[in-house]
Amino acid sequence: MWKVTIKGLLAHKLRLALTALAIVLGVTFISGTFVLTDTLHNTFTTLFGHVYQNVDFQVRGQAVFTSNTGGGGAERNNIPQSIVTTVRNVPGVADAEGTVSGNAQFIAPDGKAISTGGAPTLGVSFDPDPRLSSLHVIQGAAPTTSGDVAMDAATAKKYHFAVGDRVRILLPGPTQTFTITGIVRFGTADNLAGATLAAFTLPTAQRLLQEVGQVDAINVLSKPGVDKASLQRAIAQALPPGVEVVTGQTVANEQTNQINQALGFFSTALLVFAFISLFVGAFTIFNTFSIIVGQRTRELALLRIVGASRRQVFRSVLLEAGLVGIVASLIGLGLGVLAALGLEALLKGFGISLPTGSLVFATRTVIVALAVGVGVTLVSAISPARRAVRIPPVAALVDYRGDDGESSRRRIVIGTVVAVLGVAALTLGLTKPAIQLVGLGAVAVFIGIGMLAPIVARPMASVLGRPLARTLSMAGKLGRENSMRSPRRTAQTSSALMVGLALVSTIAVFGASLSKSATSSVDEAINADYIITSNSGGGAGAISNSVASTASRVPGVVIASTVYSGQFEFRHSVDTLTAVSPQHLSDTIILRMQSGAGAPALSAGQLLIDTTTANSDHLSVGSVVPVKFAQTGSSTMRIGGIYKANSLLGSFLIGDGFFLSHFSNPLPLAVLLNTTNPTGTQSHALNDGLNAFPNLKIQTRAQFEKSQQAQVNQLLGLVYALLALAVVIAMIGIVNTLMLSVFERTHEIGLLRAVGMKRRQVRAMIRSEAVILALFGAIIGIIVGTALGTAFAASLKQQGITDIVIPFGSLVLFLVLAALLGLGAATWPARRAAKLDVLAAIAAE
Amino acid sequence: MAITDQTSTGSPASGTGVAARAVDLVKNYGKGEALVTALAGVNVEFERGRFTAVMGPSGSGKSTLMHCMAGLDTPTSGHSFVGEQDIGQLDDAGLTQMRRDRIGFVFQSFNLVPTLTARENITLPADLAGTKIDQEWFDFLVAQLRIGDRLSHRPNELSGGQQQRAACARALIGRPDLIFADEPTGNLDSNSSSEMLGFLRRSVTEFHQSIVMVTHDPRGAAFADRVIFLADGDVVGELASPTADSVLERMKQLGT
Repeated sequence: MWKVTIKGLLAHKLRLALTALAIVLGVTFISGTFVLTDTLHNTFTTLFGHVYQNVDFQVRGQAVFTSNTGGGGAERNNIPQSIVTTVRNVPGVADAEGTVSGNAQFIAPDGKAISTGGAPTLGVSFDPDPRLSSLHVIQGAAPTTSGDVAMDAATAKKYHFAVGDRVRILLPGPTQTFTITGIVRFGTADNLAGATLAAFTLPTAQRLLQEVGQVDAINVLSKPGVDKASLQRAIAQALPPGVEVVTGQTVANEQTNQINQALGFFSTALLVFAFISLFVGAFTIFNTFSIIVGQRTRELALLRIVGASRRQVFRSVLLEAGLVGIVASLIGLGLGVLAALGLEALLKGFGISLPTGSLVFATRTVIVALAVGVGVTLVSAISPARRAVRIPPVAALVDYRGDDGESSRRRIVIGTVVAVLGVAALTLGLTKPAIQLVGLGAVAVFIGIGMLAPIVARPMASVLGRPLARTLSMAGKLGRENSMRSPRRTAQTSSALMVGLALVSTIAVFGASLSKSATSSVDEAINADYIITSNSGGGAGAISNSVASTASRVPGVVIASTVYSGQFEFRHSVDTLTAVSPQHLSDTIILRMQSGAGAPALSAGQLLIDTTTANSDHLSVGSVVPVKFAQTGSSTMRIGGIYKANSLLGSFLIGDGFFLSHFSNPLPLAVLLNTTNPTGTQSHALNDGLNAFPNLKIQTRAQFEKSQQAQVNQLLGLVYALLALAVVIAMIGIVNTLMLSVFERTHEIGLLRAVGMKRRQVRAMIRSEAVILALFGAIIGIIVGTALGTAFAASLKQQGITDIVIPFGSLVLFLVLAALLGLGAATWPARRAAKLDVLAAIAAE
Repeated sequence: MAITDQTSTGSPASGTGVAARAVDLVKNYGKGEALVTALAGVNVEFERGRFTAVMGPSGSGKSTLMHCMAGLDTPTSGHSFVGEQDIGQLDDAGLTQMRRDRIGFVFQSFNLVPTLTARENITLPADLAGTKIDQEWFDFLVAQLRIGDRLSHRPNELSGGQQQRAACARALIGRPDLIFADEPTGNLDSNSSSEMLGFLRRSVTEFHQSIVMVTHDPRGAAFADRVIFLADGDVVGELASPTADSVLERMKQLGT
């Protein structure tokens, strides 16, 4: 039987190659993700290991609370610089150096701020002790005076800075010019994962970064031969309360862990798309194997006659699937490594310099890729294999039609149950919310609908084919008949496309709703004429404190109000806080108060919360809640008012006065401006007046809305691109089915040709069938996807998706694209059908 | 050589016992109005070591009889026995094993798995059983059937006669208790037909093989030891030591 399977495989290389392609792509995705993230993980672990290689201990403020942004870093207070001396005086300490870090952004020679596309723009103190410094000077020398700066090698290379050049740097205070005294590397890398780095002397850094008399941390080097554990105890005893000492290894591990969390999120996102591709691939495989079993009915029956047991037939089909799965997974594994290399190159292309590290090809990658690839293929082939087992031996001798009637009733029942369970899981998952349940529910819904689709396949194919039958006369009519002939096959073939388009439509509906909500949240939250934010995309902390005062001096500017953002603990969980100025509140910000007061409450140092938080935490005006700030510790705040939830404002608002007294040296999130006449002239005046800060994005409210939408659309574009893979796999499925059905109908096509059908008409016939298949899948997919997208969007109402938009234009476009893709998929099969030799075709079988 | 071996082991009771029999075998298709009776209570015995032909017009039930007696189809009622085994008692696995080990088949067409070579097709039952073939017997059959030079070819590279001879070799390779041949020469020209039937005849005479052959060709039936006539799902007569003329004569009498 083994031999029969192998021979069968070899005889149908082409169709199996097409089937395998679906698995190859999915496995490529999985293994590529693993290899890339493993490699990144490894390089970062090595990098941080190197960086803290010589640091024996680090003295730092104790964690006040764990930040909910930035991958789990802790919120810590600065420590007084006097502690440096204290630590140095501990016996056994060879050296101790304070460090500070903050935000400092280089300005390129062309006057534009050098942005990093999300990575931080770091300003740090240069540790004069080379034994402790994580920075290595590769050219020039370390900064020694207040006018000196050392620049990271990646920025220097990219913008052609050399030692001795002058460079302007954006700082929390006014912009200043420095002389580059040295080019440095971070450990072994030209920069740290894309971040730019400006290193100053410690006093300069303290002054520029507004931490005079303070340091972020102290790196400690022990004398040779000193017992590390007892030294750590000795240092700890010398420290005041709130300050801790940890080993360099601990710091390296913490930083590695932070990176790993970010990488983990990245790889999970990629893996989700890999599994979507494989799921769509599973439909394709299921369909192909169903058709193969159908075509081999006589052969399988013959095998049964000459003594193959049911088990042998079952195993033969599964073995075939398993072999296809193994080969495809191995190819996918190889391609995955290439994909990882490509992605790495792409990241480098975006200016993210990665430390040199060899590609990590973990055993886990091989095991998961093979297990998933082979597993998906096997599972998809189980149902066709069971059908193969049910073929009675007499099928070899008499014309045999499968037990369609009974099994279709059973399929309807099972399909309905699965779909209903899926909807239930989805609903539960969305309300909880539990993302795994949502995923599981969606999978069940797709499978259920896939099982039910044959019921509507015949009538829908009939309707969809009518215009084709009319315009293409006989060719169109035959194409329509062919697609109606086997509703089950039509449904199966288009089910992969159904899933693909359902996902695309879900994203379309969800995205359109998100985009619209982003606009309306701007409309409902911002009253200001201009919104000034940082263009480096890094969020908080990239705008200088002097922006508001500079802007207020620009002619025409009436109000310049600074918005801050920070982390605090609200009722013992970390949350983000927004601070606004109560003076000009109604001119810059729209607060729809549900109860309590707005500006007066803010002025009084009270907390405003949004309706969502009020409802979920059962709070009302006058409630007193425990809060905690990193700088000032625990206290309580009175709820002064409750405003209508708005995603732009966030859930917690306080006055800027209160904020500044609880946060040291915060940097603005945005500056809101009101002007007398917000026209083009005003915009020009602002651009001129603020040209000392080239990192600013100065936008009118309309522009701000657009850029908010653009962010959503950019994300959507990425998701579409990743989903495109699934649609491609679905199309491969259609090509495969059409090839098989051309092959199956060789005799029939020969007959049509013999009685006078032209090649062109044969092609038209196959193409008609393809278009009907594609449209059928697309329509069901779009309907399902629209429902799913609406459900997702509706479930996130509390999270700020206030408007639900169904983008009919996009959906129609998808339909047209699906039809075109169907046409494309038919090209090869149609050509093949048209090329059939008439005589040979008639003689066939 | 192989002939002596065959007589001593293959058919211990050659020419005496019963290779297969049907008892009150009924097979209906469809229900109610559309009920078609293919077999209307057939009682028949096929002796061991004999060549029996089953004749009858189209729709007389000869193929159905064969399918039911070979365990390929399930009768509506009645029993069929292979040797002393009531095959109605066997489950699918038992039936499969019986077909594999005790019965050989030759059909009118589609006898061979298209992806396998002639050699692989011949050894297929043994491969499925996971047993070794008798190489001497294989060589002998292949030589006798003149397909020795075609063994590495696929079915579509063989002539119709060669395909049928390969099927014949497959049926004989396991020395089954009984071979069912369903119109084995239906698609062959007269030369190939005669060769094929001659070989079947010899395998009965020389190797004491038991064969049941469904045919509607009187000349083919003449190769048999005995002819059973079927009409409307029942046995309507039989003829021992038939000749083409006597079979024709009998067919005329039966009005078929």
